[in-house]
Amino acid sequence: MKSKISALMDGELDQQDASNIIEAVRKDDDLQGEWETYHLIGDTLRQSSKLAMNISSGVSQKLKAEPTVLSPNISNLEKKLKRKVYAFSVAASVIAMVSAWLVMQNLHEPQQIIMAEQPNHNLTIAPIPVSSPPAIHSYPHPPIEINDYLFVHREFSPGVTMRGQVTNVNSITEYHERYGR
Amino acid sequence: MISRKIFALFLLLAFGSSAAFAQELPRSSESALNWLQRVADAPRRHNYSGTFVYYADGHIETSRIVHKVDSISERERIEVLDGSPRIVFRNNDEMKCYLTDSKRVYTEKRWFRKFFPDIFPQPFDNVIDENYYVKEDRLERVSDHQCQVLSLTPRDSLRHGHQFWVDIETGLLLKAAVVNGSEIIEQFAFAQLEIDGEIHPDSLKPNQSMAQEEWKVTDLITSFLKAGELKWQITNLPAGFKKLVEMKRNLAEKPTLVDHIALSDGLATVSVFIEPITQDAPASLPGFFTIRGAINIYVRILGDYKITTVGEVPLETIKLIGDSVIKKD
Repeated sequence: MKSKISALMDGELDQQDASNIIEAVRKDDDLQGEWETYHLIGDTLRQSSKLAMNISSGVSQKLKAEPTVLSPNISNLEKKLKRKVYAFSVAASVIAMVSAWLVMQNLHEPQQIIMAEQPNHNLTIAPIPVSSPPAIHSYPHPPIEINDYLFVHREFSPGVTMRGQVTNVNSITEYHERYGR
Repeated sequence: MISRKIFALFLLLAFGSSAAFAQELPRSSESALNWLQRVADAPRRHNYSGTFVYYADGHIETSRIVHKVDSISERERIEVLDGSPRIVFRNNDEMKCYLTDSKRVYTEKRWFRKFFPDIFPQPFDNVIDENYYVKEDRLERVSDHQCQVLSLTPRDSLRHGHQFWVDIETGLLLKAAVVNGSEIIEQFAFAQLEIDGEIHPDSLKPNQSMAQEEWKVTDLITSFLKAGELKWQITNLPAGFKKLVEMKRNLAEKPTLVDHIALSDGLATVSVFIEPITQDAPASLPGFFTIRGAINIYVRILGDYKITTVGEVPLETIKLIGDSVIKKD
């Protein structure tokens, strides 16, 4: 079964097999776990842009919270040392956040964030609120109104794609399979 | 700042690929921007007729175009030749789209749709330089016309790159590609083209047999609003994106009007649609969609409303824009 799921991800199954496997995965929690794990591995190996996106907002918040500029009276040397310490601690927390995101993105377990924040005791700042990523659903077909939206949207847009052409809608996971390098 | 340097180093190690955008690109040269201005003006100066192909994800679609312009009007007919037939007639801002299989006609009185090769939002704005580095590249022959190739490199990762092949004589856009680095996401190109030839007025009207058939007409009424009339606000837009227009729309077969906000960075456009979740229009699950070519879609629920963001920009940008919509108090 595992090898079939892997084959499905790689697009190696024919349509009949693929629908059978998708049906099986939908009904079985363990198989869903397998599916998610495979994607976690894939996203990590590819350094998926999904991860890059999420970390940037976290990093900018960390930068904002970084307290180094608030101590005007200490000597340059001390300042330098202090900055280094902070920098490394912030870097460490970035690593922690990366792993937090990895876990979150795939398992949807927000409590992991709190655990990941704890190594961060050098910085006396409030925990950073990290919004949950939206749940990703794979539709067999897009919501019906998307066709209308596309039709209307294109009037402002380069291109000629029109109503009726929307034939190939993918879930976000497949999107990253194709473009997420 | 030492800490910032360490940060940069760390990010470089962790996400090497995303650091490629960090390099500072120079301002675009005046002559490169002049080429874009010529591309934007050409459809108002020249008649043309021909066949062009759209190519994306291994899929090709061919369309026939006839375009006639004179001192008072601009008229156009575009017919999609592959798959289910679609014919669009445009007379200045008015458009009619015939779907001959389902015998439906969509009409719109204030039509701004931008078809290849007329792809720039009007009026053309040099502000495009803030978001793209425009550079004159090599010369190349397309459809038997000598073309100047222009490359538009995005200044950040919020938008795709573009390549344009511009007819040196008329400024008409003969080929256009949307690119992500070296990968081509979608492209349009004329396969056959006649510029400034004779165009018979009959070729811009529905023919005899079409006129005799019964059509179900749907009017996509639009009411334009002043800025701030909608009860939605877009805050913290990603860099370079500006609001083009706000409106309420009557979408096909919808009982309620849909709020529509259109945004642009001078080339790429993004639409945000907001509609109430009702029993007739139940909430669909939030998520991301991608369609052939450069289009990405993001569906999000905010209270009793569904927000759908659609545009020819990377997924990250679609999400940033979709998430920037808030309800006014």
